Amino acid sequence: MKTAIVLTVAIMAQSIGNVALSKGMKLVSGGSSDSADFSLIMLLEAMQSPFIWTGILLLILFFVMFTVSLTWADLSFVVPVISLSYIVNVALAHQFLGESVSETRWAGTLLICLGVILVTKSGNTPKHNNAYGLNQETRPYQT
Amino acid sequence: MDAVTLLMIAVIVLSNAAGDVLITRGMKKMGEVSSFHPYHLFQLGRRVLHNRDFLMGVFCLAISFFAFISVLAWAEMSFVVPATSVVYVVTVLGAKFFLKEQIDKRRWAGTFLVCVGVVLICLP
Repeated sequence: MKTAIVLTVAIMAQSIGNVALSKGMKLVSGGSSDSADFSLIMLLEAMQSPFIWTGILLLILFFVMFTVSLTWADLSFVVPVISLSYIVNVALAHQFLGESVSETRWAGTLLICLGVILVTKSGNTPKHNNAYGLNQETRPYQT
Repeated sequence: MDAVTLLMIAVIVLSNAAGDVLITRGMKKMGEVSSFHPYHLFQLGRRVLHNRDFLMGVFCLAISFFAFISVLAWAEMSFVVPATSVVYVVTVLGAKFFLKEQIDKRRWAGTFLVCVGVVLICLP
């Protein structure tokens, strides 16, 4: 249960944080979609944007949840679960940033998720892995 | 998609992969977190600041972060976020060629799926 709550908070914080960062940077850059219009001064301007700071705080929350979960769960369990955030990210970008997401892009995002799950759940079976991603020797601490 | 965007995605991916490896190595030395009491989290925070792996990892992730928000200034988030998933491919290839790890069929299949997915999101 601890793992489920921590990872759900991590996924939501990461996705909403990215939306805030994206919103903030679009405001700073004036919405231009040409990389040539970008200048490093915009990064300084971004540091004064409430959207950017909201994004940074949410990503810090994500980072704390992620690193804390790694102290009891295996990276090869945590990473595939976190990969679900690709779908949440694209959904939120569509919903709140008005980005038109083509069917091809949706299909690509789903394939990426599946791919990440395959990459991280296969191969060298860890000596202490189980369905809950908990280290055997630390399970007594679980609630 | 222009060369600058591609270059920036590469910077995001490489610094992110390096950062994650370093931070994982650092955190594994801290022991399991079993208490979420603010005092205990604060103590963990203090210990972690003396861990060189962790600090180098944070530096790498900072580079990754500024590269990421820079790209967001001009590119769509629903493209940038999935594009950075190339990090999984980089890790598998790095493990194969630098660490001489054996990669099984499922892992190659997963890597292939990520690649196909990235190609799909790059299509207009």
